[in-house]
This record gives sequence, C-alpha cells and structure tokens, in this order.
Amino acid sequence: MATERSFRKEVELLRLGDGGTFQGEGILAVTKALLQSGVSYVGGYQGAPISHLMDVLSDAEPVLDELGIHFEVCGNEAAAAAMLAASVNYPLRGAVTWKSVVGTNVASDGLSNLASAGVMGGVLIVVGEDYGEGASIIQERSHAFAMKSAMCLLDPRPNLPTIVRMVEEGFRLSEASNMPAMLELRIRACHVYGRFPARDNVAAAFSRNNPIAEADFDFSRVCLPPATYSQEKHKIEHRLPAAIRYIAEHGLNEHFDGDVGEIGIVVQGGIYNTLMRSLNQLGLADVFGDSRIPIFALNVTYPLVPDEIAGFCAGKSAVLIVEEGQPAYIEDAVHAILRKADINTRIVGKDVLPLAGEYTSETVLRGVRSFVGTHAPASLDVADAVARVDGLLADKDRARAALFDDLPLRTPGFCTGCPERPLFSAIKILERELGPAHVSADIGCHTFASLPPFNVGNTVMGYGLGLASSAGLAGNFGKRVVSIMGDGGFWHNGMVSGVAAAQANNSDQVLLVVNNGYTSATGWQLLPSSRQDRHGRQRDMSIEKAMKGLGVRWIRTVRTYSIARMIDTLREAMTTAENGLKVIIADGECMLARQRRIRPEVAKRLSEGKRDVRVRFGVDEDVCTGDHSCIRLSGCPSLTVKDSADPLRTDPVAHVNNDCVGCGVCGEVSHAAVLCPSFFEARIIRNPGLWDRLLAAFRARVISLMAPGHG
Amino acid sequence: MADRPVTILVSAIGGEGGGVLAGWIVGAARIAGYPVQSTSIPGVAQRTGATTYYIEVFPVPVSELGGREPVMGIYPGIGDIDVMIASEFAEAGRAIANGFVTPDRTMLIASTHRVYAINERGAMGDGRFDPARLETAVAERAREAFVADFRDAAEREGVSLNAVLLGVLAARGGLPMEPEIYRQAIEETGVAVTPNLKGFEAGLALSPDGRTAPSTAERQAPAPETGIREDFPETAQDILAEGAARLLSYQDRRYADRYLDRLSAVRDAEAAAGGDGTLLLETGRQLALRMSYEDVIRVAQLKIAPDRMARIREEVRAADGDPVIVIDYFKPGIEELCSVLPPALAVPVMALARRRGWIGRAHLGMRINATSISGYLRLRLLASLRGWRRRSWRFAEEQKQIDGWLDDVVGAARLSLPLAHEVASLAGLIKGYGDTFRRGAENYARIRARLVAAALSGQMPATTAADAVANAKAAALADPDGNRLELVLDAVDSDVASAAE
Repeated sequence: MATERSFRKEVELLRLGDGGTFQGEGILAVTKALLQSGVSYVGGYQGAPISHLMDVLSDAEPVLDELGIHFEVCGNEAAAAAMLAASVNYPLRGAVTWKSVVGTNVASDGLSNLASAGVMGGVLIVVGEDYGEGASIIQERSHAFAMKSAMCLLDPRPNLPTIVRMVEEGFRLSEASNMPAMLELRIRACHVYGRFPARDNVAAAFSRNNPIAEADFDFSRVCLPPATYSQEKHKIEHRLPAAIRYIAEHGLNEHFDGDVGEIGIVVQGGIYNTLMRSLNQLGLADVFGDSRIPIFALNVTYPLVPDEIAGFCAGKSAVLIVEEGQPAYIEDAVHAILRKADINTRIVGKDVLPLAGEYTSETVLRGVRSFVGTHAPASLDVADAVARVDGLLADKDRARAALFDDLPLRTPGFCTGCPERPLFSAIKILERELGPAHVSADIGCHTFASLPPFNVGNTVMGYGLGLASSAGLAGNFGKRVVSIMGDGGFWHNGMVSGVAAAQANNSDQVLLVVNNGYTSATGWQLLPSSRQDRHGRQRDMSIEKAMKGLGVRWIRTVRTYSIARMIDTLREAMTTAENGLKVIIADGECMLARQRRIRPEVAKRLSEGKRDVRVRFGVDEDVCTGDHSCIRLSGCPSLTVKDSADPLRTDPVAHVNNDCVGCGVCGEVSHAAVLCPSFFEARIIRNPGLWDRLLAAFRARVISLMAPGHG
Repeated sequence: MADRPVTILVSAIGGEGGGVLAGWIVGAARIAGYPVQSTSIPGVAQRTGATTYYIEVFPVPVSELGGREPVMGIYPGIGDIDVMIASEFAEAGRAIANGFVTPDRTMLIASTHRVYAINERGAMGDGRFDPARLETAVAERAREAFVADFRDAAEREGVSLNAVLLGVLAARGGLPMEPEIYRQAIEETGVAVTPNLKGFEAGLALSPDGRTAPSTAERQAPAPETGIREDFPETAQDILAEGAARLLSYQDRRYADRYLDRLSAVRDAEAAAGGDGTLLLETGRQLALRMSYEDVIRVAQLKIAPDRMARIREEVRAADGDPVIVIDYFKPGIEELCSVLPPALAVPVMALARRRGWIGRAHLGMRINATSISGYLRLRLLASLRGWRRRSWRFAEEQKQIDGWLDDVVGAARLSLPLAHEVASLAGLIKGYGDTFRRGAENYARIRARLVAAALSGQMPATTAADAVANAKAAALADPDGNRLELVLDAVDSDVASAAE
C-alpha cells in the first residue's frame, strides 16, 4: 500500500502473546486489542486521527489471514457502518473505524438501523475524535450519536493498558447489551506511545477459516415496522439496563479515592491524564496518580451508571465535572441523576471550564484552579498553590501579548511541487480576466486553497459534496459556479450526490476534479482509480470512464502543470455556449507520493553510474525586484525570500531553496501571469556521458570567447 | 524518588523530521529503561503547518518502580516544560507565547533560521517578522538557551537538522541519558544511520554558546571614488559609490556622472535644511535603482553576467564536472518591446496597442537556453543594445519621471526634511516588470497627485503630509488590488476637509 507510513515492522508486534510487552503507538495497540478480542472482520474509512489504524490493518494482512479475519477497505463510512450488519444475526465480532464527527455523520443512517436491530456479535466502532488543536474538521461531539441511537460510548483513560482493556470490554459490553459500542479516541491518544502487557491473539469461533454454515432469518432483527417499534422499546427495557449492569459489575469506570472527601471530580476517561497533571501542578496529586481529591473516571461516558454517580457525589459539598465539548451532556445527566436521588451536591462544570473547545492542559489547569479556589474545604489549604498557578497564568498571558498578537500564522498549504497548486494558480490568473468566481470547495488537500495565498473556495460543505453544494446557487448566480471535487471525494459519494444529480438535473456548471491518485490528505490511501490496488494489481476504474457512463459530454483531462492549457480549458468551460455539466479532470500525481516512489529509483540509477537529469528552479536575485507576486500566485514552500545581497535594495528577494523538486510551477506561473524574467530552470546532468561533457565544454569555451570582456 | 517526569516539547514544521527526532528521544529513554510516553499533533504534517511532539520521561528506571506506573501527561503544560526544542525560530516564539518556556524551568534549544510563513513571504515589500523580538523573548523567557543557526550547521555537514538538534540535546544534558544511548537509538531505527550519526556528532561537538562560523564572507563594497569622497557627506558615500558603480556597468561613465550631478541638488537642499546626509543616502539609493530600470537590455546584461553560472552552480548544488543547463523564462509584452524603440516609433505603436487593448495581453513568450551558444548569442545581442538605450523611448520617459521626482524631493526638503525623506522613499513603489511595474507606477502617481502635490503647493501642512505619504506607501504595499491605498487616501482627504472646516 502506498501510504504515508508503513507499519510493516511494527506489525510484528501484533504477534506478541502472553508474557510479551507491547511498546508502540496507541493506534497499533488498538489493533492488537482487536486481535486479542477474537474479531471476525474489520474495516473502515481513513481519516485523521485513525488513518493509521487502516494502514496498520492493511499492512497486517498476513496476521489477519492467519486468524481468518476479513479486512475491508470501505467505500465510505456509511458502507463501513453497514458492514457491521454481519453481527446482527450471527455471533461474529466486528470492528470498524473512521474519523469523527464527520465520519459518524456519513455513517449515521447505517448506525441508526444497526442500533435499532441490535447486535448479537460484539460490535466496536473506533472513532477518531478530531476535536481541538490540530483538528481539520467542523467541531462537534460524537457523543450525541451514542445517545440518540442507544449505543455505548467508551472514552478510555489515555494509557495503553486502559485503552486495550476498553477495546476488549467493549465487545463484551456490546454482547451483554446487544448495543453497538463506540470507542472514542482523541488525536493525542491515537498517537500516544506507551506499553502494555500483551496477551495471545484469539481466533474467532466463526471466521474465514470456519465460515457460518446456515443463514439466520429473524424478523425481529429487520428494521421494518412493526419490528422497529419493539426494537425501540427493547433498547429501553432490556439493552440500556443490561449495559448499565455490565458497566457497574465489571468496574469499567474507575474510582480513585482521596483524603479530601468533601469534594470530588468526575472526569471523562480521555481527559484523566490532563486532569492529573493539573492536580500535580497544584500540589494536589503525586506523579503516580494518588490524588488528594477523589476522582471518578468515566471510561464509559454513555450510558452513565446512576448509582455510581449518586454514590460518588453523595456526602460531598461540590463535584467538578470535567467534560470536553458542548452540549454538556454528562453534566446535565449528573444534575438529573442527583435531582432524582435528592442529593444536593453542588455541581461545578461549564461554569469554570469552557463550553466549547479542546481541554488542553492550560484549560483544565484554569478550571481546576477555579474549582479548588472556591470549593476547597477549610482543611485543604490551597492558597499557595493557587497563587503559584495564578502567577504562572499571568506570566504566560504577558509572554503571549508580547509576541503572539502578530506572530505569523503557519497555515497549512500545498506541499512543494504539489500538482494542485498550479490548478489554483490558473484559477487566480483567470480571475484577472473573468473576475472572481464563486468556488464551491470540497474536502481534501485542495481545501487549503481557501487559505492564503490563493483564498479560493467560498464554501466547504463536506466530503465529496463540492458539486452538490453548488446546486442551489448555480441557478441564482450570474456566472457559472465552479465546483471542486477530489478523486477521494468522487469515489466517497461525489459521483452520485454530485455528478449523477447534476446530470439528472441538466445543471449548467463547471466541475474541477482534482485527480492525484490517492486520498492524499489522509495519508495516501489508495482509491478505486489509483493506478494499482494495495496488492499491486492493475485496475481499470477511471473517473473519466465513470463520468462518460453517467452521460457527461463535456470532459477535458488536463495535466495541472500545464498552466496555460489549464487556463484556456477553464476559460472555455466558463464561457462556452454549451449547456450542461462541464468537467475538467485536473491530473497530477501527488508529489509526495511521487517523490517517495521515484527517489529510490533515482538513487539506484545514480549508484549504478547511470545518467540522470535533476531539474531545479531558481531566481536570479539581481533580476528580482522584491515584489513577490510569484509567491502570492504560487505559495510553494520552497519559494521563499532572503535578504537581498544588493545594498541598494532593502526588500527581500525571492529565493528557491533546496527543497525544490523541479515541478516548474513557479516558472510557469511567472510566465503565464507575465510577472518577471527572474526565474530560471537548471537541469543538472548527473553521471554525464561523454557527449554531455564534450558539449558542455565546447559551449562553455565558445561562450567565454563571446563574453563581454572579449567582445 | 523523582516527583515529576522530565517533560520535553518538540516543535517543528511539517517535513522537518520532528517526528523522527521525537522517536529518537523516546527510543533512547526506552533503551535506558525509563518509563516514557510521547504523543503528537502531526496534523497536516507535510503541508507546511506547525507540528508538535510531546514527550515525558520518568527519570527512574522501570525496574526500580516496583510495579508503580507514573501517570504521564499527553498535553504540554504551561510553565511545565523542562526541555523545549524548536527547529525554527518563529516556532520557538510560538512556544514562548504559549507559555511553554519559563525562566524557572525551561532549557530552550532552537535553531535561529527562519522558514517564512506565507504572509511573510507573499508581502509586497518586507513582511518578515522582526527577529530582534524573538531574540528578546528568548533572552527573557528561557532558563538557559542554546540558540544558533543549526540548519546552517546541518547543511554544511550535509546532514539533517533533526540529528544535529539531538546532538545538541545530548551535549546539553537536559535528559538523564548519556550520548551513547542516543547513538543506540539512532542505530536501532535502521534508517539513514550513518548520516544521522554524523549529524548527531556534529551537534554534540557544537560549542555551548551554539555559535557557528558565519557561512558567507562579507561582500566587498566598492571604495568611494575621489569625487564622491570630496563632494558628498560621509553618511552617504558608500551607497553613492555603490550607485555610481551600478550605473557605470548599466550604461557608461557619463551616466554615472549624471547620477552624481543629479544628487548634488539634493545634497545642497538637505544641507540648507540642516540635514545629516540621510536624505541624500535614501535618494541616492532610490535614484540608482530608478536610473538602472529593468528593461530587456538590463535583464539580458544580468543573464550573461560572467559570475552568474558559478552562482547558479553553487545554488543548485551541482557537483564538479556535472554539466548544468540553464533555461531562462522571458515573456516581454508590447511595452517591454517598445521600451527599446526610439520615441518616434514607440509612441505610435503604444498608442495603437492601447486602442486595441493589447497592453497586458499580447506577449512574446520565450524560453532561452542561456548555456547554449545560440541562446547565449541572443542574450548577448540584446545586452549589446546598451549603447542604443539612450535613444530609446523608455529612457527618455524614465529621465523625465526621475527629474520630476527629484524636483519633488528638493522642493519638499525646503519645507521639511521628514517629508523629503518620505517623498524620496516613495519611489520604492516603482519596481518590477509588466503588471507589477504598472501597478507600482500607478500607485506612485496617485500618491504623488493627491498628497505630495498638495504638500508642495502648501495645501497640506508638511508634517501631516509626511505621515500621510508614509501611511499611503505602506497601504500601497498592503494588497495588490490597491484597496487599502484607496481607503487611506480617502481618509486623508476627509481629515484634511474636517481640519479645514
């Protein structure tokens, strides 16, 4: 598989058995836990922060094969959710994964039906909660899905032994309650490096090695009235009580006692370590987790166990709820539980902690400081610690004010040599002629075009939805609306929700399909239209053929690096009298993937003494006048600025650094936009042949004779 | 027993190998037998965004903990970082602003090189963040700081920056591991072991102040000629010598003399106003640039400059003996072509082009192989038009514009030296080629007409005008569409109007 990261070496860790110690990343630990749980099938759809889970599974196919586990790369998250249907009628354990909340949104139709039918085999959905710093999507909680569909939601403390235990318990909880279980992992937990004692892998009773012999038909498991009515009742009368019983009996939530019993803290498992560091900074806990304030860590955040909550809060004057994100479902539920139990403990939560946004170390520290500052009993003297932390926070605010207000933002952009850059350069250059276009952007690396320097992309509505999101505006806008869609988005759903719908509605629009061969933004997973599948087999599923099959008549395929041709094609699409959908397939292989592919080839050629031409671009700094238009129309990371060596010029000059991969876009842009003659292309001939050397020597000799000094 | 883990935060820019660096540190701690945890926000790693890696090492071996497990944090805490490693200087600033570098605790290791953010690079003038502010912050916030251009050190060794940073960390001893353990961690990965060990040793050997030798020799400035030494104040002599030398190579001795002649009026006006030569310096700098305006002849001159190929070979790191072919991108438009024609021809052609809307649309795209004989010959031929330049349309136009501008500078000097200085530096707007040149010239003309002219004719007080010109110049460089400039000019108009009421 051509992914960003290969886990071939780490996969050996998946074979560890009893007595072994696993050391590695969280996401790999989850994989190991799945194998220890006896799953029969796994699948999912890639996306940070769980992309690597898909990559690990893909690289682990030999191990999966031994255990008879089926691995499916699903077409999208809805397909992944639907795949779990295998566990409705049969005692098969299965797990799928995706990025949340967006993946859960896509999956929710399947999830609702799955959760209504209920499961016989344990089902675990590993959701990568992409919330907060580093997240690339809209900010919402996945929690609501668990509540509305009656699924269990696990949120383990972010250390590998607990994560692994919760994976294993998740299956048992799912089977005990007939509810699907979701395991929520935040970004940092996915990437956490740690260790846990391994156990033997478990082969499932039924798997590819021992298939189920007979089909089961049970109408009560079919999502059709009247079964759906009884399923809804079953959730309340049987499944939720069973889940609550299992959680309590098996101690899935953890109570850490402390000597200051007057107050307490209820925390989502995933936030536990951050809370402990805050308590440590306040002198209220030691490094081994011994806290003076009792803590109740919720490794299962839905459903809550009312008796546990009431038991923990009873007799305390105040309890802090540390719950990330909004709405404050847990805090509200605790209020309701205490009210019903007639317990009058003061609940503190979103009044000292923010409703929205990630609970970083600083956020939690501020919240806990505020809680203990107000609610610490007289026996607990926190004045010194609070003063120290206040000093720290004030100090930090000063440092921030001194620098951060105008410290340059480092927004993500296209990589050096990215084939998508020239596409947006072409759009920018054409805008000078046709005026600004309305561009419906999509999800993918190309979304970065909405950021400087391009600022192209007016709306982003979801993965594969670029074209669909133009439907309402297209008829109401004075110019043709331009939609963007990546090859990833096309196969995810854009072919149907966008192209087929536009065709069926005879919509007069322009669609740019960014075809780089991979789902690049998630780490170069392969697509149906990639040149090979993950087993190295050639495939014949092109986007162009699919478009033709859908009856699109106006299709042009243009190499993105040919900026002039792209501009001409785009101009034609925008201005042609021809009605209907006009599709430009903007072709160019992801440069990072390409570099990865060809770098070893080049190294091999060079070591064998074979001729190789390396292309690089450069700027003549005495010709550059320091306006930097070239940078504003390109944004290439290797096209930067440096001090001018010319004492007469004070502005920095453009400069191409050594990361340049020679794609030529800077020169092409400069040429197409008529910027300046500063750019040059240098072709460095390595391992030159005799002819190369003779020609170069001859030319150099003749040129030196013609040089001004001689003329 | 230790009461807290040693905390390490690594911040890097996607593609700089921050993850590999964090991996080595984790590996070393594991080899040494310490409990270690790390996590990261690789985010959109290859895509120029900032990335951070957070590591905690508990400085007591697992074997001595008797089964107890320290609770390790997954977020860096403010005021809680023992070792901060920043692979780039603005990222060091970001760490400081985020509260991760504190005087009581943090050892900071940072490379002082800059990787400019897009808004710094894309600015129309100089948009770079002031490094002095970063230096001050480092001095104020770090318990101890080891900052130097480690990238430069890495490049000179031909190794990667992250390996050098690991060596610096090992040398500075921020963690309870000996250098040998780090070497084992590098070897254990099995990836690029030899160059990474080399980089590690290079970092280990750097002196404690982190200083590295300057990489490039100081450029030799031309010595001021006798005429300049005798006739002009010392403050301006170096720049004037530079300017005169530039124009000698651009055109001829006569042209260089004309440069100094022109400046004598500015010198006298400044002296009369009691100035110290800074106006002369700025005017001399701008005048040299304006007089060496970039026409096709100039570009050809620069492209066949004798030292160019050596400079390119060094820049693209061509190995000795490897042939380098250099292809230049040219796309002159009607204006550029007319600029070398005599006025009698150029004026009607330009008029026609304007009527037909060819300006900015019709171009002659050329890619010339400057290393081929025919390509070089074409450039040589263009460059040899130098003597002809004096008779060209553009030459006449430029001289007219320059004289008008110098008159403004001299006139402004009589009113106020700060105003004169602003008028002189306003010429900096006029630069570049094609659209860029047109846009700059238009902006200059707008500011000249609405502010400079008003000040010179006494309609606007000189002090107001000096500020207004400075603001307008900054606004003209704020966006390529001239939106900000229009706002600023309108604001000045309304200020003047309300002051008049």
